[in-house]
Amino acid sequence: MRVLETGNHLVALAARAAGVEVVPAYPITPQTQVIEKIAELIAAGQMDAEYIPVESEHSACAALVAASLTGARAFSATSAHGLAYMHEMVHFAAGIRAPVVMVNVNRALGPGWNIWCDHQDSISQRDTGWLQLYAASHQEVVDSVIQGYRIAEDWSVLLPHMINIDAFVLSHTYMDAEVPEIDEVKDFLPPYKPRWKFDPRLPVTHGSVVYPDDFSETRQSMQIGQENARRVIREVCKEYSELFGRWHGDLVEEYRIDDADIAIVAMGTIASESKVAVDVLREEGVCAGVFRVRYFRPFPIEEIRSLGHRVKSVLVIDRDYSYGMEGALFTELKGALYGYSEIPVRNLIVGLGGRDVSYELIVDMAKKALSGELGEITWGDSRLTSAHRVTLECLEDFKKIFG
Amino acid sequence: MLEIRTHGLGGQGVVTLVTWAAEVAYRVGKHVQAFPFFGAERRGAPVKAYLRLDDKPIALRSQIKRPDILLVVSPSVTRLALDEGISDQTRILINANVQMASKLSERLAREIYYVDATSIALENGLEVDGMPMVNVPLLGSLVSLARIAPFEVVMDVLDMPARRGDYRSYKNAAKTGFFSVGCAKECTDS
Repeated sequence: MRVLETGNHLVALAARAAGVEVVPAYPITPQTQVIEKIAELIAAGQMDAEYIPVESEHSACAALVAASLTGARAFSATSAHGLAYMHEMVHFAAGIRAPVVMVNVNRALGPGWNIWCDHQDSISQRDTGWLQLYAASHQEVVDSVIQGYRIAEDWSVLLPHMINIDAFVLSHTYMDAEVPEIDEVKDFLPPYKPRWKFDPRLPVTHGSVVYPDDFSETRQSMQIGQENARRVIREVCKEYSELFGRWHGDLVEEYRIDDADIAIVAMGTIASESKVAVDVLREEGVCAGVFRVRYFRPFPIEEIRSLGHRVKSVLVIDRDYSYGMEGALFTELKGALYGYSEIPVRNLIVGLGGRDVSYELIVDMAKKALSGELGEITWGDSRLTSAHRVTLECLEDFKKIFG
Repeated sequence: MLEIRTHGLGGQGVVTLVTWAAEVAYRVGKHVQAFPFFGAERRGAPVKAYLRLDDKPIALRSQIKRPDILLVVSPSVTRLALDEGISDQTRILINANVQMASKLSERLAREIYYVDATSIALENGLEVDGMPMVNVPLLGSLVSLARIAPFEVVMDVLDMPARRGDYRSYKNAAKTGFFSVGCAKECTDS
């Protein structure tokens, strides 16, 4: 079924196509349309699922995990402060190995209060054990939700899957996309077959105290799940493209990289805008390509090491920042390259709090990166002035006013 | 690729207008991308919305700074709309009568396309809480100026909202909007 819809509504339609059975959720801008649409579909009898309104995101994630452990296919969606509020249960979902799918609509964390897009919210959940994908198009949003369950529920993975979609650029923008019907999906994604489940007829305890003698092993097994996910992601994306004819990449997506001198590495919709930048750069005689990191976890280590031998220079675009260090993707990419490649890698910080990122800016920065003009870290189009700094002088001014 | 940027005021139905126009283009087989800039949503505050149409999938994700068509739904935001960026090729379509359009054309020394959508809406009794539904005639004007689709497609898209209101008023208003785009200054197009 081809539709013209917002990214948020496409998420809801994809969750229905994926045969989702339980949806515990709490509304937050810019995710609200997702759960509004799901609630509407359920109320109209067009989606066979249980909707659980909860009192907070912490409860949403707790119910999500609990539903999954009873053997149901569970789904939720959140954003920014909601994701931060459920942080404890985000760890819990991975630790207890619940193969749920949750869409996070990427939004900046306040203060300053801001409802627009950046990746700080999900980057801050990096070490929880979830698989993390960043989508670049409406069609990819649909296909990733469906693929997400196959990957998460694979018995060699059994980890929760976060699908990150850029606020407004994807969530509230209308674009055309193909949404498969439930019947078309059911061979690719049969009903969830848990290896075991909570059942009152066969009582077990799961997720209780684990002593130091065993704890390290539970954590190592999560890492094994992440490592297995690399293979499963490659297989699932290939199978999906053969069945449905749509390919968005697997762990990464490449665009005109083969003969490129510089690779622009980015996540989410900035990577799509970067494709336009690459076309412009090539018209001007600059051989550039896009290397889109789809999966931030598991991180595409092998693909990046191979990239280190294929191009002469890398520009990493981060829509986030790890304060006291640098952009998070920049750190990860350099870590993967360590000992494998000595090519120069530069970091561009843009698009924070919804600041528009145009292909013109990317073109300009890529040229500067290639000519060696760019410092290690560049805050793109930031217009920092003395008024933005917290200085002793400005604190003195406050003292005069509030004395 | 055709890029359109629309400026108006909260309550004028700007976002709905752009979504309708996207639907019209979608129905004639275009790839489309329609998005408002979300800010503090309140009546009377400036609103802007963007629309891209293309025959191939759209990779751009940024806002539109040099649109092919700039649609000004309320003359009160004309300055704001121009400051946001236009190119020499940008065609400006404004909800105004011929006198206002001529003045603007003189001031900017360029052609101004115009349609008096406020009068068309009021003549057809299209009002919500005392606000003229300018988006219905303007949908017709935008689709016709941008040559997106024939008028029948406009009525296909307006079918559902029109059935909830007075069908004939919607149709008349959209049709008048479609066929009465004028051009101030030495233009032969209209």
